[in-house]
Amino acid sequence: MTQDTTSGQPEVDRQSMEVDIACVGFGPAMGGFLTTLSRGLLNEDGTPAAESKTMPGMPPQVICYERADDIAFGVSGVVTKARAIRETFPDLDPADIPMTHPVTEERLLYLLDPVGASRRPATVKAADAVIKALRWMLPVRDQALRIPFIPGFMKKHDGLLTSIGQFNQWVGNQLMASGTVQIWPSSPVSGPLMENGRVTGVRLADQGVERSGEPQPGYMPGMDIKAALTVIGDGPAGPVGRILDEKLGLPEGNHQHDFAVGMKVVVELPEGCELKPGTVFHTLGYPEPEIFGFLYVYPDGLASAGVFVPSWFDSPVRSTYRYMQHWMQHPAIWKHLNGGTIRSWGAKTLQESGRRGEPHLVGDGFARIGEGSGTTNVLTNSGVDEAWLSGTLLAEGVLELLKSGEEFTKANLEKAYVRRRRESWLDKDSRKAEKARDGFQRGFVRGMIGMALAGFTRGRLSLSGDGRTPYERVPTLEQFLKGRLTPQEVEKLRTEAHAKGRTLHDSIMELLGWPKIEYDGKLLLSHQDALLVGGKVQAPPGYADHVVFLYPHLCEECGTKVCAEMCSAEAISVNPEGEVPLFDREKCIHCGACFWNCAKHLQDDPERGAIAFRAGAGGLHSAEN
Amino acid sequence: MAGSLQIVVCGGIVPNPLQTLEPTAGPQGPALKNEAMLPAVLDPWAWHALFEAANLAKQAPGSKITLVCMAPKAKLQQVMMTIAQKTVFELQPIDGPASGFVESADVAGELAEVIKGINGLDMQKLLVFGGWESASRGAGTTMQILGEMLGITDQFQGVDEIRLKDDGSFDVLERIEGGKHQVSRCAGAPAVLGWATGNLPEPPNNPQAGMANMRGIMPALQKARPAKPGQDGVKFLDVSLPSQRRETRVVKDTPAEEIARELAEWITG
Amino acid sequence: MEKILVVLFTQEDGSLGRTAFEATGAALGLAKELDGASVTIGIAGTSIQEAANALAGSGAEKILGAEAAELAQPRYATDAAAAEALAKAAGATIIVAPGTSRWNRIAAGVAHRLGGRADTHATSLAVHEGAPTITRWYYRQRMVAKLSRTNRPWVVSLDPGAVPAWSGEPSQATVEKVALSMPETAARTEVIGVEAPEAGAQTIRPEAETLLVTGAGWTKKQADGQIHLKEAEAAIMDFLRQTKASLGSSKSLVDQEGEGQAVLPFLTHMNQIGQTGSTPRHAKGLATCCHGEEPHVVGWRFITERRAVNLDANCGWAQGKADVLYVADAFEVMKKLNDLLAEKAPATPES
Repeated sequence: MTQDTTSGQPEVDRQSMEVDIACVGFGPAMGGFLTTLSRGLLNEDGTPAAESKTMPGMPPQVICYERADDIAFGVSGVVTKARAIRETFPDLDPADIPMTHPVTEERLLYLLDPVGASRRPATVKAADAVIKALRWMLPVRDQALRIPFIPGFMKKHDGLLTSIGQFNQWVGNQLMASGTVQIWPSSPVSGPLMENGRVTGVRLADQGVERSGEPQPGYMPGMDIKAALTVIGDGPAGPVGRILDEKLGLPEGNHQHDFAVGMKVVVELPEGCELKPGTVFHTLGYPEPEIFGFLYVYPDGLASAGVFVPSWFDSPVRSTYRYMQHWMQHPAIWKHLNGGTIRSWGAKTLQESGRRGEPHLVGDGFARIGEGSGTTNVLTNSGVDEAWLSGTLLAEGVLELLKSGEEFTKANLEKAYVRRRRESWLDKDSRKAEKARDGFQRGFVRGMIGMALAGFTRGRLSLSGDGRTPYERVPTLEQFLKGRLTPQEVEKLRTEAHAKGRTLHDSIMELLGWPKIEYDGKLLLSHQDALLVGGKVQAPPGYADHVVFLYPHLCEECGTKVCAEMCSAEAISVNPEGEVPLFDREKCIHCGACFWNCAKHLQDDPERGAIAFRAGAGGLHSAEN
Repeated sequence: MAGSLQIVVCGGIVPNPLQTLEPTAGPQGPALKNEAMLPAVLDPWAWHALFEAANLAKQAPGSKITLVCMAPKAKLQQVMMTIAQKTVFELQPIDGPASGFVESADVAGELAEVIKGINGLDMQKLLVFGGWESASRGAGTTMQILGEMLGITDQFQGVDEIRLKDDGSFDVLERIEGGKHQVSRCAGAPAVLGWATGNLPEPPNNPQAGMANMRGIMPALQKARPAKPGQDGVKFLDVSLPSQRRETRVVKDTPAEEIARELAEWITG
Repeated sequence: MEKILVVLFTQEDGSLGRTAFEATGAALGLAKELDGASVTIGIAGTSIQEAANALAGSGAEKILGAEAAELAQPRYATDAAAAEALAKAAGATIIVAPGTSRWNRIAAGVAHRLGGRADTHATSLAVHEGAPTITRWYYRQRMVAKLSRTNRPWVVSLDPGAVPAWSGEPSQATVEKVALSMPETAARTEVIGVEAPEAGAQTIRPEAETLLVTGAGWTKKQADGQIHLKEAEAAIMDFLRQTKASLGSSKSLVDQEGEGQAVLPFLTHMNQIGQTGSTPRHAKGLATCCHGEEPHVVGWRFITERRAVNLDANCGWAQGKADVLYVADAFEVMKKLNDLLAEKAPATPES
């Protein structure tokens, strides 16, 4: 038998436990899967609709392991059409879920650059000039053009605004109350168990180990959970899904080169704020043309506000936090936020390759759902509803197989799940969206045109991109600052910052004309303080570090340290004593930005960088995200 | 080997201590702002009491652990997901508020009713465990009242250790002033022990314990006894967050002896 | 008309601890503010005359005494019986008690027996709109509440050091003895001694009264150009042993381990507070040798009373964050402080 996990756990005798279905990661996809599954496991008279193979006489035993310390983990602004969610909950009353409201109004704003530091290509500058010149006849206010129509493919009207943390809690509680499935937080899964190409379950992370993974007294090897079916919904940064991708490769022609970091704050709006619950702002154009923003207004004077920084934003100093602060201060946003207070903060990686990033959806003994399975629709900017649907479709297929007593083979899962998915609106819409964003790989304007083309022609037309990986895109600091600083000046800057263990983005952004952030203690906080607003990450002791710098020689060659520059929580920092950055897991919110941002790659494997992002416990910052 | 024990662990839930807390005025008096939205954990000292119970149960084979918990049912269910992999227990849930502003006497009354109703309750084997204080009320009063209601006058607070002997008697180490422990010898159950942190590390998650527990926990939660403890007799005039800004008195050019004297007084005061 | 009773237990030598005088002071102060209120003092112990004499000049209406050999031991059953008897004899509506471990063990149980309610850890006792009012904390010192009660009797135990102590000259007191009948079950529990915890076994004590924060200065070169690790370790560990304080550290100090610098062997990342560490909650915090970076400071935002010892008058740990900053050499201050603490250490538990 060959068992394989790649997280470097010692080979020791491990306890094992058998269940029927083992699930990894509790997010919206798993919510959809477990909700639909749990409703079908028992007959109306309470007898099992199918029998467990591990506990005869009982319904199938279904267990879901979640790495975070509560089921409220998740970061998303979440404005969703909620088609699939409403199909599962036809009587859904948004008032039952905190921070949830029907969408009542949508605004699309093109933000002009009020500070003059934005890196705008000539075409954008020309467009800005036209807008300014025609401001008397255009709906321009507060340095923003309100685009009078929102393309149908972007509209979320009749949809829902929610907090993914609150939504997950709501779903999870109903699931647990059903008594038919179990969800275990604080239970990181280190990887899949594989036997001869078949997934036979999962292995939980070792407990009682040093940061390096070395056993301490009280060592408890992670248990092997054997299951006929393993359902993987651990998101774009989840270790189980990514290990499978490494082992099985992606289907031909697919890649996962497009990512973004989404970062947000939950804000208590100032008294007298005129924005009504259900209002949605989408913004583009500022602080950099490539950075999109959002503002969603919840009931009770709360709002979610934030930005996305995509992998095709070609800057080595892409600090999402700093850019978010400039975006918040744009007059069109600031006028609504000013006087308010940040309540909490969070960030996550988005897999922006969408359908192009789809992995092998099924194999013998496993099925993939959710964002890690390529559900995100990159044209409509929608992911939660699609993830949910992928889960419900899998559950329908699984119930069919369970009731007919069929095995969870690749062929059966293809028939029961993949076929359903291909026939659903999820797949149809994602095909239209597949190439919608490719144009952005060659610039903002081309991207916008490409997106519009794909949107209005339902995917028939689009503009091509170059498919480069993030590391291929990241310029060196010298290239980035060419014409502003000499290579010698760049080196001096780098050496000084390195000696102090500091990242460079603040000084470089200020050099490029971005004003210093004047902290006000309410909306504008130091990054460190933001980590302590509304919560604080907890990293339970006894687990190994989940971010590991695998190849010191690559770090030594790296002059940009994008991992530290972009780290959403400053958990990765510049090491003044050496070139391999430091990692502090008590700050890490598990956004996963580090592994895809790595500016280096292995010679013999262009898809792998120097950073391993493994299974780790904790990471919950706030339940409001 | 000591005879078997019946260990009842009482504990409420509290917001995850890392979350930001704010008071707000509720219909029945002060409450926690957004309490329902905050992730919750088992009260930290009750959490330790549970580990101690598990440890004690190992020393007295045949012992049974019952966890009596009062909290809003949905929240309690969520908390069970984080604790039920730690050790095997039976849950006796009470569906009621988790607020620190609720009267401890009312909470004790609810706990007492549930404990009295435990099937096969044997007072001669009963050890009632709980936290010596809660992280919500922070008063250290519930366990004493509960003990009185159950007619138990062997009570210990701030317990860090129990040493069980073969004849069923045990020594208890309670925290007292000066960083010391008072050691008491008790003839045996029944007794009430309000735990401080004890000495045991948090047990690792054990998926098998989780599986075993969940079979009982979910049906128990569905039948949770509803409770409405209140704030009768209390009038809150003000509940607020302490001020964060301070006037710093700077002491310079002062001999170390004098500084040490001032500090010693402050620390032992 | 409130009938205020102060209930005190004598120490092993028959005297009263400082907290007993604080409770007396608080009760007398309360009575002054309340129309028609009277104060009675009740003292329990094996022999209480000396303690009664110490309070003879307090102006209390009378002094009640409950004496029994069983009261030599701080024990729930017998202590509660004594407090109950005193409260009944006085017909008390408000019972003021010092917040010692002995009293906090029984406060709520006694209130329950009397049909009343108890509040512990009060930090003030005052009158608001004619009604007695206390201040106390909720949610581990993250919220402070002012409250009054209609429940009587009302047992209030005051946190040590929260209120000024009454002081006066002792004189011969007249004590009215209260008959005590100890429960038959009292003998089930016997106090057999006091144990001091093993030194150095545990340095993180979330529920400790005091947090000692150690900064990187402890492992830096001192005035003589040398690093004094042994002295640093001795000073810190001695303080922890004596006070059972919890040990916190600034990030810069714990990080030195990974940087090949001189380290204090007992410090780990578990000790780290602030920035990436914990934000512990303690009644008191003493920061030593910490030099200030703003993010570190959040580590003690939930410390109620804060003092700092640092050579730098602009220490970021202290300015605007601490109540007192002592600009001094922490090595010297801590050594002297430890000596003083050793002298002050009580031989028996405070009662």
